[in-house]
Amino acid sequence: MLAVRVLGTLAILFVLSIIVFSMLHLAPGDLVKTLLGTRPASPEAVAAIREQYHLDDPLPVQYLRWLGGVLTGDFGQSIRLQTSVADAIGSRLGLTLALCGLAFVAAIGTGIPLGVQSAVRAGGVLDRVGTALGVIGLSAPTFAVGLLLLYVFAYYLPIFPVYGGGRGPLDTLYHLILPAITLAAGLGAIVLKLTRTAMLRELDADYVTSARARGIPEGRVRRLALRNAAIPIVTGASLLLTFLVGGTVLAETTYALPGLGTLLQDSVLFKDLAVVQALTLLVALVIAVIALLADLAYLLLDPRVRAKGGTA
Amino acid sequence: MTGIDVALDGIEGPAGRMVEPLSFEIAPAASLALIGESGSGKTLTAKSLVGLLPPGFRAAGTLRVDGREHRLDQADASWRAVRGREVSLLLQDPFTSLSPVHRCGPQIAWTLEAKAGRRLPARELDTEVARRLDEVNLPARVARAHPHELSGGMRQRVAIAAALASDPRLLIADEPTTALDASNQAELLDLLRELQHERGMAMLLISHDLGLVRGRTDEVLVMRHGEVVERGATARVLSAPEHQYTKALIAADPALALDAPVHAEASVLAEAAGRAEASGLAEAAGAAPLVRATGVVKRFGERTVLGGVDLEIAAGEIVGIVGESGSGKSTLARCIAGLEREDGGTIAFDGAVLTPGRRSRTPGQMQIVFQDPYSSLNPMMTIGQILREALAVGGRAPSEVAELLQTVGLPADAAGKRPAQLSGGQRQRVAIARALAPRPRLLICDESVSALDVQVQAQILDLLGRLREELGVAILFISHDLAVVRRIADTVTVVWQGRVVERGPCARVLDAPVEEYTKLLVAAAHRDRTLSHDPSTDGRTIPA
Amino acid sequence: MSASLGAVGVAFRRRGVPATVIVCLVVLAAAFLAVVLGPVLFPEATKQDILSSLMPAGSPGHPLGTDELGRDILALTVAGAASALVGPVCVAVGSMLLGILLGTLAGYERGPLDFVISRWTDLLLALPVLLAAIVVSGVFGGGYWTTVALLVLLFSPSDIRIVRAGVLEQSARPYIEAAQMLSLSRWRVMFRHILPNVSSLVITNAMLNVAFALVAFSSLSFLGVGVPPGTADWGRQLTDSRAIMFDNPAAVIVPAVLIIAVACAVNLVGDWLGQRLTRSGGLA
Repeated sequence: MLAVRVLGTLAILFVLSIIVFSMLHLAPGDLVKTLLGTRPASPEAVAAIREQYHLDDPLPVQYLRWLGGVLTGDFGQSIRLQTSVADAIGSRLGLTLALCGLAFVAAIGTGIPLGVQSAVRAGGVLDRVGTALGVIGLSAPTFAVGLLLLYVFAYYLPIFPVYGGGRGPLDTLYHLILPAITLAAGLGAIVLKLTRTAMLRELDADYVTSARARGIPEGRVRRLALRNAAIPIVTGASLLLTFLVGGTVLAETTYALPGLGTLLQDSVLFKDLAVVQALTLLVALVIAVIALLADLAYLLLDPRVRAKGGTA
Repeated sequence: MTGIDVALDGIEGPAGRMVEPLSFEIAPAASLALIGESGSGKTLTAKSLVGLLPPGFRAAGTLRVDGREHRLDQADASWRAVRGREVSLLLQDPFTSLSPVHRCGPQIAWTLEAKAGRRLPARELDTEVARRLDEVNLPARVARAHPHELSGGMRQRVAIAAALASDPRLLIADEPTTALDASNQAELLDLLRELQHERGMAMLLISHDLGLVRGRTDEVLVMRHGEVVERGATARVLSAPEHQYTKALIAADPALALDAPVHAEASVLAEAAGRAEASGLAEAAGAAPLVRATGVVKRFGERTVLGGVDLEIAAGEIVGIVGESGSGKSTLARCIAGLEREDGGTIAFDGAVLTPGRRSRTPGQMQIVFQDPYSSLNPMMTIGQILREALAVGGRAPSEVAELLQTVGLPADAAGKRPAQLSGGQRQRVAIARALAPRPRLLICDESVSALDVQVQAQILDLLGRLREELGVAILFISHDLAVVRRIADTVTVVWQGRVVERGPCARVLDAPVEEYTKLLVAAAHRDRTLSHDPSTDGRTIPA
Repeated sequence: MSASLGAVGVAFRRRGVPATVIVCLVVLAAAFLAVVLGPVLFPEATKQDILSSLMPAGSPGHPLGTDELGRDILALTVAGAASALVGPVCVAVGSMLLGILLGTLAGYERGPLDFVISRWTDLLLALPVLLAAIVVSGVFGGGYWTTVALLVLLFSPSDIRIVRAGVLEQSARPYIEAAQMLSLSRWRVMFRHILPNVSSLVITNAMLNVAFALVAFSSLSFLGVGVPPGTADWGRQLTDSRAIMFDNPAAVIVPAVLIIAVACAVNLVGDWLGQRLTRSGGLA
């Protein structure tokens, strides 16, 4: 079962790589001009570009050459930054990872306990407040939350910096707090909703009634239900990731953080295609790997699926 | 004072009073059965005794356990001292009453720790869990298994061990065997009885099935619409019921009539069929059979569900197929109907061989009535729309809806209703009407009465018998319930593990089975449900 | 579709509409009025006037002030409703129709068709909607309606999956087998019998998709793709006014709050409708 799943993932990545490669040739405007960027289009420069990108080879050959480069970490040159794409990404990766990590921890740390409590006391005050926060978190675009937070915490109550990534680890962390909260708002709302729904269903199950009727303490009953609810929660992880990718771009743009999100946006607007290709593939790869890991976790969490996987 | 003493002042629900005041006592090691059909309030009564009523329901009254009094409206925190130690609850469905992601051992161990009020050392727990499993006749290795690795009967034993691990004074068993096969039911109830005597524990057994409690409980309470209508010693209530409702329950339960004689004209037909069988060929009786299935094979993946089954149905004949769940009886019917494609063998209708699948079949050949009346009608269509569509298929006029409704005993105004507005029995009548609309020559009833209450069951069986007489339609009647089949079928085919074990006239097969497996089935049905023949139940009159 | 609209009607006719839902419906009605009347009331909302640039909120003639190009914030915001809201509704409706068609076919016909459609949704789901939209819109350009079409495509997998799952679940039910026993045509079974029974799922999901599309659309225009510069549009307004966010806060706060308010309202009404429809038996 797992082997089929891995093969399916590889197939999707392969198809995506073809689409991403084709982007270069499908983009409107003259390819050579795009690749030249701001340089003058002298016949020598054009010839050099055609030579450098092997544009005279048949497309499949070009694709294979490009794919070979990608697999060895060579994504080509950024025409905007005049560096290798790998370097451009490498220098900004840390900030984005730190932002996502902080937001993720904050979202899980608030979303799961709040979701459990909301489900346990469904209809209570906490549940209502939680549900209201959840709806706002789900509905509010990341940039709108970011801009409003900027007013509150950087303008009216100036305790956080407005823009930029900061210098040194501590200052960077300080600069990341507001963006991370912004990103965590939407993320936490998703976690809250997933947890609440799953817990409500599990608390309604026969085995919970049966456990209560046997006199098992409420704390243990809740842990029992949460352990069962973990299956749908983990399955919903792909939702989190999808949100995180878009949200990072928006949060970084809002706070002018020099991360991968702003790199993507700038590269798209500048038509710096090599960088766009690399980032798109990278995101697809990360999502595919995490989806696989979520499936694995599912396998570990649910003995019924494990048994089926063993016999198949 | 020892034993259980319940004084329930009533249970209020969102829609008003659900259960009227009632009281009962159960001595240590004694047992009381609470009998009623769905909606009678028996399950609410059970849940009120552990303080686990659904949200919106409130109970008032007292529960006394060995003299200790507990108020039924006390706060949840106070209930925690009662649950497990004083009263424990065993639920109906062993497939959902254990946590699917935890092993069985810990689920029993939690109850042990809950009773001790503290964490116990692992070794002590393991030993105790093994002992508890042994009590319910399960090997110690079951502790390491997940619930899904066990059979239904084994799971219910684990659930019993878990429920009893806190050594309660009262065990409430809510339909504990309804989800199990016939052969498991008796064993499990006997096990409960045995455990009860060993521990001097009182038991409240909730059931819809009067036949089941015979010889297994000391007393019976019969409930209807939240009220107790009859109470008394089990043997007395079963043999000499006083209340009209109890009499109707006993009379309407086909299981209780297992020993009753097969109806006369069916016997004649059955004898004819028996003679035909004896001569070896149906052609000897004059005509080709309506349906002839030869060597039908069906596999799902690697599992062979049908391993070469033969079946013949003559025009106007009622053929019963009996077998336990998973025996392949439904699959055979679905192959004949074309809803499944057989992997081997042939199915001929009126002498012409049909290729597998629906495409080769016409609506006028055969129709099915399914088991579940709640999902066999499109919830978004009115009864009229459903029937007009079926009539159109048979080339009949939409105006015949009223006639069709009358045939199945429904009022004409049912046409304007949606399925949700009808009862289970009424829906099943609509399903039968829909099946009759294209004037099929064969009606396939796949467990068509299994999901219905006993009284409704009897009404639908009567309807089917009448339809055969009036319309001359042949019926293939599939059921796991021997008593139901006995009541309607001319011939019976017994299926086991995808093969025909035995076949013949209804009375011969069920009264004098030849094959070992049939004998087992019949014996299980008798052991479980039979009542001694009582002249007072012979009339089988059912109040509408 | 008449059956599904009937189901919505049933949900509304029931008594006891919660106060929050009524507030949400008022918000949505106001937004609808702005969409319809915006172009009539403020035909020149995007006209620049350097002379009146950067006036704070409360200035005479400009209750919400102006931006650095001298555009009146109130006029710009009301006129921007159309661009901010019409696209998302079209995205939700378009992806719902695509979902109904492909999801029903995949779920009922099974076999190779199901395989192809399912792999197609897998492929689209492998990329986050926003990332794909940024890349495609940014690199390939295209105007407002190109973005709508792109988002329809990117939103459709969730609709396809939901419809397919619903159809699969319904197909296994006896009433569908009963329809097959009557040898009804596959189109009749799919669209007369199955579709009305999954319609509550579909409608609820479409409502929630309006909110998601609203967020996605405004995010794209905030990032400078999807809506051309100079258009009256809430998301565009936010990105244009960021430089002056501390000079005239209303220029940013008003459209930001409006986006959040409308998205919340759509989500809440969608949730409520979903619960009502489920309870009214459409999914029983």
